[in-house]
Amino acid sequence: MASDKKEMVGYRQQPGKLDFTRPGSGGSSSISRERESDTIPESQGGDLPQPWGPHRHDDLITGRVIGKPTPLIDSKWKVTGQALYGDDIRLPGEIIGRLVRTDRHYARVLSIDASEAESLPGVLGIATGEDAPHAFGVLPVTKDEHAMAVEKVRHIGDIVACVAAEDEDTARLAANSIRIEYEDLEPIFDIKDGLKDSENPIHDRGRYHIGESNVQKRVFQRFGRVQNIEDSIASHESSWTFKGVNHGFTEPHAVVAHWDPRGRLTLYTPQQVPHYVHRALADVLEIPMHQINVYRTFVGGGFGGKSDPFPHEMCAAILARKTGRPVRITFDREEVFWTNRGRHPSKITMAIHADDEGRLSGIETDALIDGGGFASFGHVTTYYNGVLHTAPYEIGAFHYTGARVWTNKPASGAMRGHGAVNSRCAVEVGIDDISEKLGVDPIDLRLANLLPPHSATITGFRITSMGMRECLERVRAESGWDEKFRNMPLGKGIGVGCGFFISGSGLPIHWDPNKFPHATVHLKIDMDGGVTIHTGAADIGQGSDTVVAQAVAEVLGLPMDMIRIRSRESDTSPVDLGSYSSRVTFMNANAAVSAAMQIRSELISAASEITGVDEKRILIGDRRVYSKDDPSNGVSYLEALHKAQEDRGALLASGSYRTPPMGKMHKGAAAGLAPAYSFSAYVAEVDVDVETGKIKVEKVWAAHDCGKALNPLSVEGQIIGSCHMGLGQVISEEMRYGRTGNLLNPDLLGYKIPTVHEMPEVVPIIVESNDPEGPFGAKEAGEGPLLPILPAVCNAVYDAIGVRIQELPMTPDKIYRAVESTCRKGGFESPLDLPSPRLVLTSLSKTLKERGAQHSIRDKMRRLESEIGDYHNGALFGNDPETPPEELDPDWHVQVLPDEEYLEEPGLAGSAWLHTERRHRGEVE
Amino acid sequence: MAAHPLPVENGVSTRVWSASVNGKSRQIIIRDHDILLDVLRDNVGALGAKRGCDMGTCGCCSVLIDGKPKLSCMTLAVETEGCEITTVEGLADGHHLHPIQTMFSECGGSQCGFCTPGFLVVCAALLESNPSPTRKEAQDAIEGNLCRCTGYQQIVDSIMEASDIITSEERLVSTTRPASNPHPGYGG
Repeated sequence: MASDKKEMVGYRQQPGKLDFTRPGSGGSSSISRERESDTIPESQGGDLPQPWGPHRHDDLITGRVIGKPTPLIDSKWKVTGQALYGDDIRLPGEIIGRLVRTDRHYARVLSIDASEAESLPGVLGIATGEDAPHAFGVLPVTKDEHAMAVEKVRHIGDIVACVAAEDEDTARLAANSIRIEYEDLEPIFDIKDGLKDSENPIHDRGRYHIGESNVQKRVFQRFGRVQNIEDSIASHESSWTFKGVNHGFTEPHAVVAHWDPRGRLTLYTPQQVPHYVHRALADVLEIPMHQINVYRTFVGGGFGGKSDPFPHEMCAAILARKTGRPVRITFDREEVFWTNRGRHPSKITMAIHADDEGRLSGIETDALIDGGGFASFGHVTTYYNGVLHTAPYEIGAFHYTGARVWTNKPASGAMRGHGAVNSRCAVEVGIDDISEKLGVDPIDLRLANLLPPHSATITGFRITSMGMRECLERVRAESGWDEKFRNMPLGKGIGVGCGFFISGSGLPIHWDPNKFPHATVHLKIDMDGGVTIHTGAADIGQGSDTVVAQAVAEVLGLPMDMIRIRSRESDTSPVDLGSYSSRVTFMNANAAVSAAMQIRSELISAASEITGVDEKRILIGDRRVYSKDDPSNGVSYLEALHKAQEDRGALLASGSYRTPPMGKMHKGAAAGLAPAYSFSAYVAEVDVDVETGKIKVEKVWAAHDCGKALNPLSVEGQIIGSCHMGLGQVISEEMRYGRTGNLLNPDLLGYKIPTVHEMPEVVPIIVESNDPEGPFGAKEAGEGPLLPILPAVCNAVYDAIGVRIQELPMTPDKIYRAVESTCRKGGFESPLDLPSPRLVLTSLSKTLKERGAQHSIRDKMRRLESEIGDYHNGALFGNDPETPPEELDPDWHVQVLPDEEYLEEPGLAGSAWLHTERRHRGEVE
Repeated sequence: MAAHPLPVENGVSTRVWSASVNGKSRQIIIRDHDILLDVLRDNVGALGAKRGCDMGTCGCCSVLIDGKPKLSCMTLAVETEGCEITTVEGLADGHHLHPIQTMFSECGGSQCGFCTPGFLVVCAALLESNPSPTRKEAQDAIEGNLCRCTGYQQIVDSIMEASDIITSEERLVSTTRPASNPHPGYGG
């Protein structure tokens, strides 16, 4: 290596002049030279155990790249301006498409007159809903979107028609000159109105329609023992309003569609989920999937907002087919807000109960979420609002009612932390309040109520590794929590919040879990020695290409520059479900490891053949395959490769990953089921100006358990970036709708994304719990880190000024009003006289500290012991940990349909259950 | 604004726009109302300048006009007649990247990369005028640019690292990481 270094100093990239010795040759000696001992990788194939116990991938560690901060494999493209995003795809002969968007909230389209537009010089094609009658949607159960309005328009900005013209000016002119006649229908904007019967429900779901209402999905879940709630001594009740939030990715949607001379369609699109677009295109265009190539360009930020198949993608393909020319459509920023798919505006009512031993005896949640005009991922979101707060705490009862309604607003959908963010905020603020009522430290309360590793939650999720405790302990120590909490002067505060998120969804959206694998990765290695990875995983900037390349590089003992990745085209990539639900690192790196293992064993047998060393005693290290007992006895990687290639040419391997069978059997049990879960705990320190209501978040200590940080640089980037996005939702971001239902701020001036000045210093703390199922122990780090920042800031604001705000974003006016009203009620003349909250510890505090210490030992044993017994949620309440509580305890509910008693006094979202589905009313065929 | 007016056609007056883009002089027929960003992307082919919002709120379209960072979506092309314009494509010296480019790559300053071109030119201008900024000065310099991925922290880290390289007068050794020999032991 020393010689390599010397030659590379001052190295300039000169194509064709790379100083490889005899490029492509196999060399002449069968034994390569002895290496200096310091170049032999540290980990000798599993002799050095992981700090959290061994892992099944330990013997694949070559010490190359895993765990080292690694720049993104495509970052040089990005910093030189060579990365091509959606609008950067410029094909010869391209024309420009524009979408005709409606100015009505809700209306029936009576007629479309495009004659004026057609007569404009330079207009090449016009399409309307009649050109594409087939519905599509990201979830097969709720396909309710069309390329263009087929019968009705459902929100301002809904697409009615589209035009293609030689240039953008003509296209805009043509779009504006299309005359549309409407019959206006009564729109609804208030989320509560969606629960009522309507004359014209926004969609018609046929026999599955719920009443005549606008309820798109409703969920009822009741688990656990009601008695636990009745035995509680402290309760927290809150009623939250969360405003809608947009992803705010910097790249507006853009798409280029091109039908090649052979009649195949290539769609260039910045997509998180190319495969679903592929399916939707086939449906809408009525052509077989093999006639379509979906090309994923660089994606300028996704965060969930580019994961639906979109109408504009269909429109581009339709226009390109009509005109025979490549069509490019790029959105204005305003159109991004009309397309939305951001976080659901929500009303969440939460009750949390604790008993005299400081156990969380019950959580009752009622979440009504505003879906806007279309279903999108809403089916899943409705579940996630409940089921994703059943951990990390052991709870005595869990009652959840959720409903998602259609309103005449841009559709909500999946956004980073999908469905979990708002209800998690409510839970964590509730726990802060409960601990105040119990007179205990909120971190102590949390530490005494955590589920252990290798346990099952109340709804049956399988928890494997669990670094929650370490996260809490680390942020507590590093933030100086014990000195600061409830000890700071008025206006200064500190707060804690936790998070829990899925690492990949156990249920693939489009097929039976046992039918196809969740992820597939192909490898190809030819004589040059470089490894080409084919994966369909969509790198949206999170660094998935890098992580998959790292996994392969690690197993084969190769440096990153010998790995090439081809992940863009559906023609060459195996099917992948896409970048959502934080599945990519977990599933694709697992698939990549399994593919690389096949190549690895071929290299080892080749080396064994050359050297005569037993295959079992051979290791792969830095570009060498050598004997474990005598590292000087070995061959170079290229020698082994060429030996393996004799008589057959390039080595190929295909690896895949599928989740193991998991979970319970009740309806909805698969929602939120994941092969692993991530955990996080944040402490935020804030400065609140009590007189103006302005919040400044000063510092955040952010601990996230990502299993194993395959690329710590990316993990830290994800943690800090999540803080930024979550912080926006707490302090400033909001899709504001006026009284007449108009979106008031569809631009980045009115939609306030935090700038560098609002951003606090973030101390990212990576906790590694070494997940048994994850690749090299890894879990997700992309979405989970967003969850805790919201409650941490909310709790810190309370610590600072003693006021709880139950509406996000907490803009200064809301704080000001809350402070004013507190002053009035408390008889304070000036807000500066307000008392700062103080903590008076009760005897329960000692009990909790002791239990936390015991549990800490319990958890350590559970992760180190080889034989681990089952642990079901409920053991803390006296049930047998090894048996699901419902099997032993007749009072332990597992109920997914409401009973009559509940329906007499339903919650807000729960009232969706007062409707009867059409098929059960006997009036439909 | 001594651009060369051309005859008015269809009520739109056009002229020849001359400017230097990334060191290369360009003469392009533009309309008076053409926006610099459109001219750069559609006529010059400098696709590194990105369109994020069209109203000066995101900073993705930032370019250097005579060395000063400006929002090209808020600038009429005619205003830049005779100017030297630098987009992200013009930052590297041949194959040698500007230190800020290298450090954005190494320190995680770029995730999805869409805002990166705008940040890079702004940072390059900062380092030109102030080679050793404080963290606060670095933050002030990028206040007009939005990044949705990084939370800015790794961007500021990148600026500080690049500043170290520039001030230490160390020649940045490589543009890309040294390419690996797949066949160690035969390197000579």
